[in-house]
Amino acid sequence: MSTTKDFIIDQLKSEISGFKAEISEKSVGKVLKVSDGIALVSGLSEVMMSEILQFKTEKGDVAGVALNLEENQVGSIILGDFTAIKEGDEVHSTKRILEVPVGEAVIGRVLNPLGEPLDGKGKVETNKFYPVEKIAPGVITRESVKQPVQTGIKAIDAMVPIGRGQRELIIGDRQIGKTAIAIDAIINQKGQNMKCIYVGIGQKESKVANIVAKLEEAGAMDYTTIVLAGASMPASLLYIAPYAGCAMAEYFLDKGEDVLIVYDDLSKHAVSYREISLLLRRPPGREAYPGDVFYLHSRLLERACKLNKDFGGGSITALPIIETQAGDVSAYIPTNVISITDGQIYLESDLFYQGQRPAVNAGLSVSRVGSSAQIKAMKKVAGKMRLEAAQYRELAAFAQFGSDLDEDTKRKLERGKRLYEIFKQGQYQPLSVAKQVLIYYTLVNGFMDNVPVEKVSEFEAGLYKQADLNDTVLKMIIEKKELDAEIEAGLKKLIEDYKATVDYLIK
Amino acid sequence: MKISVSQYAKSLFESLSGKTEKEVKVVLKKFVAILGRNRDLNKAEGTMEIFSALWNAEHGELPAELLSARELGPTARETVINYLKEKTGAKKIMIKEEIDRKLLGGFVLKYESKVLDGSLKASLEELKKELIG
Repeated sequence: MSTTKDFIIDQLKSEISGFKAEISEKSVGKVLKVSDGIALVSGLSEVMMSEILQFKTEKGDVAGVALNLEENQVGSIILGDFTAIKEGDEVHSTKRILEVPVGEAVIGRVLNPLGEPLDGKGKVETNKFYPVEKIAPGVITRESVKQPVQTGIKAIDAMVPIGRGQRELIIGDRQIGKTAIAIDAIINQKGQNMKCIYVGIGQKESKVANIVAKLEEAGAMDYTTIVLAGASMPASLLYIAPYAGCAMAEYFLDKGEDVLIVYDDLSKHAVSYREISLLLRRPPGREAYPGDVFYLHSRLLERACKLNKDFGGGSITALPIIETQAGDVSAYIPTNVISITDGQIYLESDLFYQGQRPAVNAGLSVSRVGSSAQIKAMKKVAGKMRLEAAQYRELAAFAQFGSDLDEDTKRKLERGKRLYEIFKQGQYQPLSVAKQVLIYYTLVNGFMDNVPVEKVSEFEAGLYKQADLNDTVLKMIIEKKELDAEIEAGLKKLIEDYKATVDYLIK
Repeated sequence: MKISVSQYAKSLFESLSGKTEKEVKVVLKKFVAILGRNRDLNKAEGTMEIFSALWNAEHGELPAELLSARELGPTARETVINYLKEKTGAKKIMIKEEIDRKLLGGFVLKYESKVLDGSLKASLEELKKELIG
């Protein structure tokens, strides 16, 4: 024992002799005023914008971020327990811009916007940090969107396809399945070479706990990170959450990988920024939002990109979510985000309560760049799907007034009914692209015209089962990505074989 | 239009520069009258603060605070003053000394919004952080 003790003491001695207390000048300030999550600080003459500040309180250090640099004082947001801070407390600047831990270690974790664990699995083991705020990649580093993101949702992959590097807004009223679409898209990324980041902003912790459990069950946590700024956290954390999530995504982007990031939701983000801005006494504008609320979201969503080969070829696909009030898309924040993104998926509460789930409105949903990312087979079968679906809604509303319809209209109505039946899809049941091609091929080529509308879902399920038993055709679709004569023959045979086994066809 | 504290201080400072003692008294009297007329007497304190800062900047004076565990000798004080002069380019250092036993040893120098912490207490805390992590 004595040798170990001597060894320890020797080590300690050498450590202490090697230690040199350095005296360096520090920039300090004093707290003038504290209000909800905001502190006004005097002094701090050389502080930088968005630099981390340390508030020295009796209960230990509390972090903050400088946000307003004024003539004699600094306005800062407090990232922690602001009740511990008192007037007159000392504030130290750290010469570090706000940053979060990044790297492979964040995968499978539930973190707060500062990268601290919320899942009880201990500290994130990484030595890499990325700044939370970063200027988006410029023109020369980018290229156009060309690879698809398969969401596994039939209505979306056919009508509003999303490409890697695209920003597609999910918009709709509360409780009609906005988050469900995003979670299904994450679940469907299994084996698709995608990292996923779900940023929950102002979400109920119970809802996020459910999401984590579902993702774990589906095996999606192997490639997913959850950044959570819960409803009970201060506005400052809600404000930095999407930027922190994006910084984590940028690590994988720089490695040339593809990332899918979900911001759920940006309306609450705007509200938290409004709170901070008003407390910092910035002038309010429309709906009391500050003047730079557009820049707030545009600088975030611009960071979604598809880089070209010379810059690694990675991509960040962003799925921001916006909650509307009573379907009003002309409010301030929805119009802003609609104009920033490359298209939107519009969910309608009427459709939702009619049982049409996911409640995607075909007329108002668009994807401005995604169609070039669809695989050829899908493009061939689903090319005019959105137009047909939108026309059917109009026709159906019109046809209610009279029963005298010509043959052509009747046929369109019947086809439309079946199309909407196919769009129906359960939650947590994403569908592979090959099966989507199969079902749309069946519909477009009239094989489903003699299947009764109420039997469509049964027919669909049976057809998939049949295809699974003999999956050479499906494999060929995934391999070739287009519909050649051989595949078409295979599909036809598969469908006709299956139709021979069912007994509910209309004669 | 409302006149801010810094505007008051600046105009006072400018109107006082290069005046004799007699003239200064007249100017001050008028200044107070203006404050009263504008109902801005409550701004007097803030004005004085900024005025002294302007005065210090103009005349190269620098107020500083020096905390030490024990009374400092003249050479130590001289070293600190020379350090400040060199660092800030000030001509005159107005040092305010205080004794704080809690520092255990060494000194803490405060000037402008900077702190130079060379106390034994701070180095011990640093050592603790280094060893325990």
